[in-house]
Amino acid sequence: MIKADNLKKRYGKTVALDGVSFEVQKGETFGLLGPNGAGKTTTIRLLCGLLKPDSGTVTLDGKTNPTLVEVRLSLGMVPQTLAIYEELSAEQNLYFFGRIYGLSGQRLKESVSNCLEIAGLTQRSKERVSKYSGGMKRRLNMVCSLLHEPPLLLLDEPTVGVDPQSRNSIFDTIEAMKKQGRTILYTTHYMEEAERICDRVAILDYGKILDMDSVSNLIDKHGGFSHMEAEFEKSPSDLDKIRQLIGSSNIQFEETKVKFETPRPMESLALLNRNGIHLKSLKIQSANLEDVFLNLTGRRLRD
Amino acid sequence: MKKVLFLAIKDLKVLLSNKGNIFWVFGFPALFALLFGAIYSDAGKEPSGIKIAIVDEDKSEFSNSYISKLESEEALKISRAGRDEAIEQVRKGQIAAAVVLKKGFGDGFEAMFNSDEPKLEIAADPSRKMEGGYLQGLLAKAQFEALGDKFSDRKGLRSQIDLWRNDVKDSNDLDSKQATLYSNFFDSFDTLVKDVNDKNFNKGFKGNMLNFTKLDVSKEYNGPITPFQITFPQALLWGILGCTATFAISIVKERTHGTFERLRVGPIGLAHILGGKGLACFITCCLIICALYICAKTIFKMPLGSLLLFVLAILCTLLCFVGLMMFICTLGRTEQSVGGAGWALIMIMAMFGGGMVPLAFMPSWLLPFSHVSPVKWGILALEGAIWRNFSLTEMMTPCLILLAIGTAAFLLGVFSLRRQEQ
Repeated sequence: MIKADNLKKRYGKTVALDGVSFEVQKGETFGLLGPNGAGKTTTIRLLCGLLKPDSGTVTLDGKTNPTLVEVRLSLGMVPQTLAIYEELSAEQNLYFFGRIYGLSGQRLKESVSNCLEIAGLTQRSKERVSKYSGGMKRRLNMVCSLLHEPPLLLLDEPTVGVDPQSRNSIFDTIEAMKKQGRTILYTTHYMEEAERICDRVAILDYGKILDMDSVSNLIDKHGGFSHMEAEFEKSPSDLDKIRQLIGSSNIQFEETKVKFETPRPMESLALLNRNGIHLKSLKIQSANLEDVFLNLTGRRLRD
Repeated sequence: MKKVLFLAIKDLKVLLSNKGNIFWVFGFPALFALLFGAIYSDAGKEPSGIKIAIVDEDKSEFSNSYISKLESEEALKISRAGRDEAIEQVRKGQIAAAVVLKKGFGDGFEAMFNSDEPKLEIAADPSRKMEGGYLQGLLAKAQFEALGDKFSDRKGLRSQIDLWRNDVKDSNDLDSKQATLYSNFFDSFDTLVKDVNDKNFNKGFKGNMLNFTKLDVSKEYNGPITPFQITFPQALLWGILGCTATFAISIVKERTHGTFERLRVGPIGLAHILGGKGLACFITCCLIICALYICAKTIFKMPLGSLLLFVLAILCTLLCFVGLMMFICTLGRTEQSVGGAGWALIMIMAMFGGGMVPLAFMPSWLLPFSHVSPVKWGILALEGAIWRNFSLTEMMTPCLILLAIGTAAFLLGVFSLRRQEQ
């Protein structure tokens, strides 16, 4: 459905994208995860034809020109900035964008009504947008792109600066779109969002894709060991035996407590239990995309 | 086209949603028109109320008569003062000039025309050159009128002829042949003045020495030219300029707020978006013009030379400024920068084009620059339709220039916009 092939883009001397390639299958939710300035927005802009790549090609639904009207009609883009008219009401905004997408009559009316409901703005649809909260504006910003029911959605950090309630509402909407079989490209620098929503994630940094796979595979490949913190029922007498059972070089004892890293946390626990070493409490911190990014770049996502 | 209309309607809704916008787009030009109307309410009339001080050091019958002539001029407001006091008033800017009638001012023709030692001095405010120039004209006129009075007095004229005859006799520069010629001429002249009957004397020596009829070059119609008719084109131009700036800023606002990007991703081209913006600007300008025209017609009873040419002038002016709007919106990347640069450009265009100061007041070396200002051609086209009685052919020059400037600015704007997008 979406294919980016060796995309390169420079702004003067700054390299924004340096050979980005990926493919998104129909019905898949694909995430671009990277810190600010990684090239996520540039990728989105290239995909929808707002920018021309210096080299490389973009293919949307088999067509290599994203500016074609039929491609544009199949595309819904949620920009990072609040791309709505604050002087108008939510209803006026939706009617306007609906008409731009060629909707009219009953279909337009129904579409506007659905979008208002999805955004939870039905009650305040006639109020001027400037009076809305940040979260309400974000929700409206998203549904403005759903009016024409596009099969392909490009979401550029749609949850920036919103409250948890609005964030959940946005996630619910995206998950509903996912269930309807839409193809979604989602950019974010929040790893929790990518983990929750995306089937596959590409790690983007300094205009390059460092790796791309499902979240679990990425964690397996680059996440490193799980961090475990266990408390024994009584202070262990034979520390060497425990060291041997766990098989971790990075192990620390603290009276009745032990901290260690392991690639197979459940197997380690079962082994301890079989050898009569019983635990009072246990804390497991599994590796996540933050660890993946840290291990791939040496930096944290929000650095 | 339908989508261009939707875009234009949206822009009008956005514009009208803000009371401040309504004032600046509609109210401000109307106020400007009224202000211009008031400032130029004396347009078409002679200037009046130039304050001058007269210093009469001669205190002769002739100087008194001369001052009376000046006092009868409507264009002047005269006070009498001593030399130092009068010059001090000029220095402080309280009066436009001080006129000093030196001792000997009334001593016959020699005193009046003696270029070696002038008997009339003028101390004019250097910052009020126009008034100074006008004043010199009025002083000359009064001198000629006073001279005319002398000629109309047989006794005075004959004694003047006696003085000239004596001068010829006493002159060492003239040879006897030349002296005889002059003496014969003055004898004959004296005989003429003495013997001619009153009817012929009055016909030959009395009456205005400077007389003329003013021709009206404005459109012939029933009724006088109103001051508003003269200032109406400038008021319209200011309304259009304000609207141009407002819409140029609105394009940048769309770009900075992301709505432009959302529209660009939609199934419409850049031409649709800019067309919509241009149409909204065009409609708004038309509304401003209609409002001002209704105001001019009903309140100020302003006559209109040719409605057809007026519509043509409006159309060309609007197309020109819609094109300029496209160019102005590319002068910066933020609302502040476009607002600043746009208004600076507009002010320069207005200044050079006669939108602020009439072109007549502009130094001659600056005048060629006015040709590149669309404000000049806009005002000329509108004046041509309102009161200059232009024919369709005459209208073609300003109209074609306006269209050329508008097209060039539009193309330049679209080119810059596309470049900035990448």
